[in-house]
Amino acid sequence: MTGKRLRTVVLVAIAAVLLAIWAFPVLWALLTSFKTERDVLAYPPTVIFTPTLRNYADVLFGSASLLPNLLSSVIVAGVSTFVTLLLAIPAAYALARLELPAKRASGFYVLATQMLPPVGLIIPYYLVLQKVGMLDTYTGLIVIYLTFSLPFAIWLLVSYFEDIPREMEEAALLDRAGRFRALWYVILPQVRGGIAVTTIFVFLNAWNEFLFAVVLGGNRVRPVTVAMFNYISVEQTLWAKLAAGAMLAMAPVILLGLIAQRHIVKGLTVGAVKGGGRRA
Amino acid sequence: MALFLPALVVLIVTTSAPLVYLAWTSLERIDLSMPWLSGFAGAGNYLQMGADPRFWHSLWLTLIYTVSTVVLQVLLGLGLALLVLRIPKGQGILRVAAILPIVLAPVVVGLFWRTLVLAPDVGLVDVVTRALGLPSYNWLGDPKLALLSVIAIHTWQWTPFAFLVMLASLSSLPPDVFEAARIDRASAWQRFRYITLPLIRPAIVIVVIMRTMIALSAFAAIFAATGGGPGTATEILNLYAYRTSFSELNLGYGAALAMVLLAITLAVSFVMFRARRAR
Amino acid sequence: MANAGRVSMRGIVKRHGSFTALHGIDLDIAPGEFFALLGPSGSGKTTTLRILAGLEPLDAGQVMLDGVDVTAREPGERDVAMVFQSYALYPHMTVYENIAFPLRMVGTAKGETDRAVKDAAAKVHIDHLLARRPGELSGGQQQRCALARAIVRKPRLFLLDEPLSNLDAKLRLETRVELRKLQRALGVTAVYVTHDQEEAMTIADRVAVFMDGRIVQVGRPQDIFARPATSVVAAFIGSPPMNLLPADLRDGELRVAGVPLPAPRMAGRDGPITLGVRPAALRIAERGLPARVYLVENLGDTTIVDLDVAGQVIKLRTEQAPNVREGDHVHVAFAPEAMHVFDPATGQRREG
Ligand SMILES: Nc1ncnc2c1ncn2[C@@H]1O[C@H](COP(=O)(O)OP(=O)(O)O)[C@@H](O)[C@H]1O
Ligand SMILES: [Mg+2]
Repeated sequence: MTGKRLRTVVLVAIAAVLLAIWAFPVLWALLTSFKTERDVLAYPPTVIFTPTLRNYADVLFGSASLLPNLLSSVIVAGVSTFVTLLLAIPAAYALARLELPAKRASGFYVLATQMLPPVGLIIPYYLVLQKVGMLDTYTGLIVIYLTFSLPFAIWLLVSYFEDIPREMEEAALLDRAGRFRALWYVILPQVRGGIAVTTIFVFLNAWNEFLFAVVLGGNRVRPVTVAMFNYISVEQTLWAKLAAGAMLAMAPVILLGLIAQRHIVKGLTVGAVKGGGRRA
Repeated sequence: MALFLPALVVLIVTTSAPLVYLAWTSLERIDLSMPWLSGFAGAGNYLQMGADPRFWHSLWLTLIYTVSTVVLQVLLGLGLALLVLRIPKGQGILRVAAILPIVLAPVVVGLFWRTLVLAPDVGLVDVVTRALGLPSYNWLGDPKLALLSVIAIHTWQWTPFAFLVMLASLSSLPPDVFEAARIDRASAWQRFRYITLPLIRPAIVIVVIMRTMIALSAFAAIFAATGGGPGTATEILNLYAYRTSFSELNLGYGAALAMVLLAITLAVSFVMFRARRAR
Repeated sequence: MANAGRVSMRGIVKRHGSFTALHGIDLDIAPGEFFALLGPSGSGKTTTLRILAGLEPLDAGQVMLDGVDVTAREPGERDVAMVFQSYALYPHMTVYENIAFPLRMVGTAKGETDRAVKDAAAKVHIDHLLARRPGELSGGQQQRCALARAIVRKPRLFLLDEPLSNLDAKLRLETRVELRKLQRALGVTAVYVTHDQEEAMTIADRVAVFMDGRIVQVGRPQDIFARPATSVVAAFIGSPPMNLLPADLRDGELRVAGVPLPAPRMAGRDGPITLGVRPAALRIAERGLPARVYLVENLGDTTIVDLDVAGQVIKLRTEQAPNVREGDHVHVAFAPEAMHVFDPATGQRREG
């Protein structure tokens, strides 16, 4: 019927507007990154222009190259993700499965650490690292990244461990595997997907972190988020380059986000099912 | 226990120990710009706060910022989810679009908005308003508009989160319940009010709790877009603590401000978890 | 057999907080026996089985296998295999790998493992499915895979927790028979949990009847059927189960709903009793208890007639189609030998 048709049209139109609102700034930045600085400032803005790769070349290989910053981000996010998983996988398994003394209290403690405001952590870290001369080191930044990634990873992994029926493990015990081999041969292979999703989220959060990086980083350790911020403060109007840099800086997380697409709701709410996640 | 211990120790060392040190710092006077004045201050920093209009202002902004962004996210997220659920096709692409803002670094989002979206004359918003024959506004330069702008930025970035959670929650509702309600002659509004809402309440509560925590410690997007300014127009408590500590290098007072934020966060989460369990 | 498989449990107590799931279970199972744990849901059967497997810590008592106290031993050290109700197949392994797993864990040589896996798979007719994963099997095939994984290691004790409950009715009957044959062929002791009394009665050598965390009767199926130890057991066994009616015993005369009946030969004290009669022992007669026909259920080869006797519904089962209709007033009678007498207060059987 026409009434129904009309409704569908309206709904689709609304969806299209939504799509535009959410995707447009990114697409606009993508477009801008291929413009010359002159085209950027044109009014009315041009959609048809001669695309140039100059901005990317400049951002990558110019005087203020982003490459060292990308490397910084890879190191900080990569290592902190690795350490996080190393600690979080056994901890999550223990929380999900084993009879721990004060299990509830432990779980709650992990949760509480996740809700601390970052600004409250950064001050003591700054003072201590300054005293021991470890400002602007990878170690300092990686350690403070554990404060948000470890609780998050533990809770996300707990939810995956809990999805595995207890009987699976009991069967392995009866099959003479013992605790350790039951974990290794039976449980871990089944949480592989969960570990992958956790890795993606932890990496993503670490990659996007700004406050800790801007305070504890420096000339040597400067992740892309800080570099982007400095870029705009220094080179006020070079927007095309900014856009190109931003696209490069955000490409990994956009990619990871799209890969983990189907798991994103679980990843985002998991802390929440029991407590609260944090990313700001 | 041996499995859990390493993580526990790391958490205690990396999170709890620093907090103790923070509490201690908040009782000290540590001013890196005037190091000769450093020393124990007792409750001095906290007493100073009472007479500090900038503190009260930041507290007020925190309240406005948190409440408005959370309410907006929930209302918009729920509304959009309800709408999108009725779209026969294209839900998939919308989900993908919704993921974009979420995965972006808040600092980059702040920069995008500051330049490409809200900049006078050439920003997207100005282009549109000018095309409609409206005057051009200085969205981030005008103190009144700046607060609106940072609220809009946060809402833009995180409404997709609420949207995705609500959408997931709505799509998992059993359809037969709604069919039963139709047979029981419930109108569309009644079905929403008495069936949908109660069923997705857990999702709403989760969104509210999570988003409140995050809004309270929002930093990077505001910092990138306005830096807390113009003046102190967008300086929520979190930013005030940061600026005090790292721009004015008055770490003792900054620590005291951070302690207040910590106390607020804990109190709010405590109340919210209580409320959640009570019902 | 190298492994005998004699089970003995003594005074097993299991608590969950303030709730006591098992109140001191004593159980003896002979080598090679097919032993069923029967009881309504929540009566403690699974808990007992899990304690036997070593999966559940216990609060008091002792578990002995072949005369050795294994109470403190890990599940893997008890030489027992288990088929879980959910099968608990490892989803990331093929059927072959699933079956091979218990052998791999003790370092059995490749060639020997291969032979044993194929042999076990052939015994349960899944040798053509070895390359598949559990997700690609039907419910019945999954069940067989779990079975193969349990028999491949030739355990001394074979534990099954409602292994047929996830199968459809027809498959359940077939598998039941096969399971029995398999156990006989292997000569292994089997402990089998079920809430289905018919299943337990047809498959088991002996049955332990569980009620509320206690074993109320142990015996051969025919003995339990013939002489239920309590009125609760009586009301649980048989399809339909035994009819129970309040009655009065006075001066050697039995009265049911005021009607005098010939009393069974028994040294019972005078006073109220609970009278039990199996549905098949009832017949419609010229004289006896007056009853009204309430419902006639024709099941083809048998007919169940629900009768209202003084406000209480009892069931009658007969192979000949009875000539009654709903609403008819009739009389029901039964032979004195068919009567079971229980103490109304304790539920205990009174012997004649
Ligand atoms: N982990 C547990 N916590 C509390 N109660 C339990 C737990 N496990 C079992 N129970 C209780 O113990 C009783 C016996 O359970 P179970 O052995 O599984 O019964 P069955 O197998 O006969 O149905 C039940 O009432 C059950 O509710
Ligand atoms: Mg059970």
